[in-house]
Amino acid sequence: MLIDRQEVMRMARLARLELSDREIDQYQKDLTSFLSSGQKLQQVDVSAVEGTSHAVAMTHELRKDAVGESLPQAEILSAAPEAMDGFFKVPRIVEEQE
Amino acid sequence: MRRLAHLLETRQISSTEVVEHYLAEISKQEPVLNAFITVDAEGALAQAKASDRRRREGQALSPWDGIPIAVKDNISTKGLKTTCASRFLANYVPLFDAEVVSRLKDVGLSIIGKTNLDEFAMGSSTEYSAYGVTCNPHDHERVSGGSSGGSAAAVAAGEVPWSLGTDTGGSIRQPASFCGVVGLKPTYGWVSRYGVVALAPSLDHVGPLARTVEDAALLFSLIAGPDPKDATSSDAREFSIPDWDESFVKGLKIGVPEEFFGEGISPEVEGAVRDCLNALEGWGAELVPISLATNEYAIDTYLTLVTAEASSSLARYDGVRYGVRIPAEDSNTMFARSRSAGFGAEVKRRIMLGTYVLSARQYGAYYEQAQKVRTLIRQDVLEAFKQVDVIITPTTPSTAFRIGAKQSPLEMYLSDLFTAMANLCGIPALNVPCGRDSRGLPLGMQIMGGHFQEELLFRVARLVENHVGVEGEVFSDKL
Repeated sequence: MLIDRQEVMRMARLARLELSDREIDQYQKDLTSFLSSGQKLQQVDVSAVEGTSHAVAMTHELRKDAVGESLPQAEILSAAPEAMDGFFKVPRIVEEQE
Repeated sequence: MRRLAHLLETRQISSTEVVEHYLAEISKQEPVLNAFITVDAEGALAQAKASDRRRREGQALSPWDGIPIAVKDNISTKGLKTTCASRFLANYVPLFDAEVVSRLKDVGLSIIGKTNLDEFAMGSSTEYSAYGVTCNPHDHERVSGGSSGGSAAAVAAGEVPWSLGTDTGGSIRQPASFCGVVGLKPTYGWVSRYGVVALAPSLDHVGPLARTVEDAALLFSLIAGPDPKDATSSDAREFSIPDWDESFVKGLKIGVPEEFFGEGISPEVEGAVRDCLNALEGWGAELVPISLATNEYAIDTYLTLVTAEASSSLARYDGVRYGVRIPAEDSNTMFARSRSAGFGAEVKRRIMLGTYVLSARQYGAYYEQAQKVRTLIRQDVLEAFKQVDVIITPTTPSTAFRIGAKQSPLEMYLSDLFTAMANLCGIPALNVPCGRDSRGLPLGMQIMGGHFQEELLFRVARLVENHVGVEGEVFSDKL
């Protein structure tokens, strides 16, 4: 295997995914087969070129930094699983001082 | 669509009757087909009534006012559930319309429903939808293709006259080919992606699916144009439907890339495409054998980039602002549990691959390398367009496959073998039906052009359509 279980678990942690043992085995296999099929990309000589991040050549224009319309806060919060006092509510991140 | 518009304009038919006709087709066929995730019968009828009122008062918004349309369920519709075929967004109702949806509403189209797709548009068969597979209207044991399988099947089955899809590696053209409809992936940047749920922003496109070339061109004209809300659309312009004059074909140079024919291609697919090429040659076009050798790298390049971009695009699904939340003591566990509960296997697989190719140790070997190979592919294609006006290939190596036939992810990824190149290069590419195989399954031909050459693609496709014919005229009793 090109990738070991530890590496798969590290990726899952980085991607914020909680995987079962079965899933870890599966993705270890899938990553390995994907990377071996992708080996031929490594052989391509790319020394003469820069990477492409946009397929169509375009120049980004700066727009005016103007205040536009936006949705009301209450509407946006209505879609949230939990909200409180005009905020999205999440589990505690910062511990209270003793 | 011109005929339907004429019927509406002369009041031989009302928008309510049109919408009722399609809703009846939907009720009849959906139990088997499963092309829709959400059908908004009430909303569509209300919009139809409003349209009829406008027509009575001489206030029609456009000739197309009152015609219904279906929209792929990864395109935001205000007040109408947009699930991306994911459990994560099972109850997500957008607060705003995607730019393309606003444009359709501005000319009076009514949104009849949201069509099925592979979860977050990751797939080539709709088998990765959390809401079940969409069957192929021509053979219910086969897939409709994907990821815009619902949009293609709904049009092919006559559940709706036209639809919108999205295409990141072939997701409009491959299902269009499998279902026998016209589908266009436009030039990158010509159609706004504002409000379209991102899979891979450097490869994502929105485009039309329709029964005829003219309808596809018309729908494209309704959605194309610049949008200040999408920074990549800054160079886009408006599009007008061509006049369909056929004299352009004399001397038209058609590139025929050897890598897209021969080994690995179904002989029936190749035969049908060659037959159309010969017809075009007969009308005065010149067939130019060319080579697109870099297509050998297209799938691996595409997969590296699409998984990398997807892992980043899907980071937003964290259970904080919308979607699924599985409660936990700390935030990181809450994120991980929510994501793991909400995402299907293919989405997790792509996030894992993408995270790997973007990780610090692998970035240079995979992601950066793929971006550079993308440059070589782009150079190869743009070089070809110095010699030829359009490039014609089969859209897919074979016709629609059986549900459950592709067992491994890699096998599934190869469905995009002929289509991913156009996404990597941002060039327009279109599927036009070119006949049926011996089982009665549709065959599709892909026409690619240089950036912003959509008009030429539609013109060539129209000739092919004249050659092979169009099936299934609706309201023919009234025409």
